[in-house]
Amino acid sequence: MTAAEWQIVWFTTWVSALSTAMILPFGLALAWALARRNWPGKSLVETLVSLPLVLPPVAMGLILLKLFGRRGPIGAFLHDRLDFDVIFTWHAVLLALGVMSFPLLVRSARVAFEEVNPRLEQIARTLGASRWRVFFSITVPLAGRGIVAGMVLAFARALGEFGATIMVAGNIPGKTSTLSLAIFQDVQLGEDSHAFRLLGVSVVLAFAAVWISELLLRRRKTAP
Amino acid sequence: MKQFLATGLGTLMLLVATMVPAAEVNVFAAASLTESLRQIATRYELRSGDKLVLNFGASSTLARQIEAGAPADIFFSADEARMDTLEKKGLMDAATRKSRLGNALVVVVAADSKLEIRSAHDLTNASIHRIALADPKAVPAGIYAKSWLALQKLWPAVAPKVVPTENVRGALAGVESGNVEAGVVYKTDADISKKVKIAYEVPLTDAPRITYPMALVKDSKQPAAAKLFLRHLASDEAGQVFKRFGFILLE
Amino acid sequence: MNLLLKNISLPLARFKLEVDLVIRSRVTILFGPSGAGKTSLLDLIAGLRRADSAFIQLDDRVLTDTAKRFSVPTHQRGIGYVPQDLALFPHLSVRQNLRYGLKSGAATNPLFRFDHIVDVLAIQPLLPRGVADLSGGEKQRVALARALLASPRLLLLDEPLASLDAPLKARIIPYLVRIRDEFRIPMLCVTHDRLEALSLADEIVVLADGRVLQTGPPLDVFNRPANAAVAQFAGVETLHLGRITHRHEGLATVNLHGATLTAVVPETATPEVFVCIRGEDVILQREGAAVSSVRNRLSARIVSLRLEGALVRVELDAGFPLFALITRPACTELGLREGEPITALIKAPAIHLIPH
Repeated sequence: MTAAEWQIVWFTTWVSALSTAMILPFGLALAWALARRNWPGKSLVETLVSLPLVLPPVAMGLILLKLFGRRGPIGAFLHDRLDFDVIFTWHAVLLALGVMSFPLLVRSARVAFEEVNPRLEQIARTLGASRWRVFFSITVPLAGRGIVAGMVLAFARALGEFGATIMVAGNIPGKTSTLSLAIFQDVQLGEDSHAFRLLGVSVVLAFAAVWISELLLRRRKTAP
Repeated sequence: MKQFLATGLGTLMLLVATMVPAAEVNVFAAASLTESLRQIATRYELRSGDKLVLNFGASSTLARQIEAGAPADIFFSADEARMDTLEKKGLMDAATRKSRLGNALVVVVAADSKLEIRSAHDLTNASIHRIALADPKAVPAGIYAKSWLALQKLWPAVAPKVVPTENVRGALAGVESGNVEAGVVYKTDADISKKVKIAYEVPLTDAPRITYPMALVKDSKQPAAAKLFLRHLASDEAGQVFKRFGFILLE
Repeated sequence: MNLLLKNISLPLARFKLEVDLVIRSRVTILFGPSGAGKTSLLDLIAGLRRADSAFIQLDDRVLTDTAKRFSVPTHQRGIGYVPQDLALFPHLSVRQNLRYGLKSGAATNPLFRFDHIVDVLAIQPLLPRGVADLSGGEKQRVALARALLASPRLLLLDEPLASLDAPLKARIIPYLVRIRDEFRIPMLCVTHDRLEALSLADEIVVLADGRVLQTGPPLDVFNRPANAAVAQFAGVETLHLGRITHRHEGLATVNLHGATLTAVVPETATPEVFVCIRGEDVILQREGAAVSSVRNRLSARIVSLRLEGALVRVELDAGFPLFALITRPACTELGLREGEPITALIKAPAIHLIPH
């Protein structure tokens, strides 16, 4: 493995971890709202959240490209006001990974929240706990396993993301090249042995992610 | 009399065409040939009765596909190296190989851009953050561009700004969308698009020679029909179409 | 204490909960059949639910006023709640559960100190354990202690003894009595158990189909149900529709499915009346005409015998279904068997007639 290859592995791992961490607060909040509340237009929100799961990833990438490109509604604002570019930078990788893995996190967390007996939350409130305290001391711990499962799913999805990423970030060596993009390019260039080395690393990473999540889940089960 | 003969011959040809079963010829062609080849193919189909299936893409990708056994009858590449690779592997009919077309490189910017590029060196300016090229590792258009910049001793300075795209049209799209400040594409590509303008034409002496070889794939299922089309592609008539789109006619 | 529940209107599945009530007693029992809206009312008081309209005030503090769109959030109401399923936090130990509602500064009132409450409810040995493997009674006491440790100004209990068997109920009731007497926290309990009601209640509120049917001290409600609905679940065992055939000197002759009964004429006389006979008021006697003051002697056949704690519930067929409650020793002594004939004796004043 060359230094360039290690760079790709390192980049893929940390940008996947970062994207999972970034979608966590909003994802949990949305999952809680979907689990506990009703409001007009709720089904529209549910559909939008599920879009990245259902649309082909390149289609999703195209949508992001149009939105965040320099002439797109969000991209123009970022470029003109904040001198901030998304497309063809590592920010685009973060965006693509985050968007594509978001529905996985929300779905898992929502199911986990739905399984927490609302009575427990209510009684906690009667004992004087504010909504935030109830959320962090009762809801999240009890939904913990589902949330962890959702995070692992999201991380694994981010690790393997390709279609949307290639649309918005390209495959710029050293800057936006992820494992999946690098493997694709290697195959295109006929460098199969190279591709297999990277493939091996992908397998090891995926394995590690699942193994850690199993550890975490097992520990929760034997809690206090 | 001449007219009578011509009409008679034409009618005879039509009759012959309708009697002979129509062949389907698969043409794998470089992306930069899209518009010109389509026009030529449409007219040819009407006349010959054969069906032409055109598959456009980066010459490197197409070469890989042919290597992997894709059903191509003709390969029309944007550089000699891709054709050489396939010929070395014994996949091409070398006797049918001809290079009739050439092209030139240009630097394009968005149609509404205010950037001024007067020389290759301007590409190293700080105002240019990103330059789109077809992947310089594999795709002919990118390889030519890298070659040109390397000849000017500018490649190390420009390389960090490069956004590699899957084929030359991807680079064009990047400039059109405004997501990169400039791109290096073929002159023929720049002429097609209204959303970009040519900021700098690379002098032919500064850049490597760009040629487009075409040949019959050995495993072709329709060698007769394919050869007919190849002959047509080398004809004056086709040449005029290519010239209209901005290609250079060689010889 | 003074709990005002005014203009409460809350649509539920089958009916609307409509309540207008002032509660002043130390221990008030909300009594009624399941689905009457009792739990919903508790939820409203605790602020866990919103009503279409409600005005709730506890002592000098307005908790809910829908007219002014004002509602104190649940966690600021200081109202303790022990729900029917107890809702102990499964991921916390007993000690952590108990400490959940403890306020930061040490309780000024020594009664509410952690050690004292643990002592009163005898849960010291349970502290380090997890919640899952506690027995029913232990869970109950932990839930009570947890609510108390939050220093509530009012305690709401939803069927606190429902899931416990008779001996356990008897052991928990003293704790509730101690809470009433020693901690002096007003309590509002939901129950359908007469034993609980009689042991604890200063006042009973009968709720059915979302409406308050009767309020008053327990004996009043049980012995003088205001209407048939109250009578039906205030524990009157035998309840039928009969006809008054004859009236004379304040006594009425009632025809009940062919049997004739003598009872006291009710204030409002209607030709058709509900006839209420409490099981405790039915005496069973083997044949043999003894002379006594009893006006009603009915020949009956024993249909079934059912044990209920220390008592036996005897279902009889006296021309109409009649229930008697007698002690187990009595049942054994009389040698009662299903299918056998027996004489049922009922005093006229014990037959309660409710106008229909």
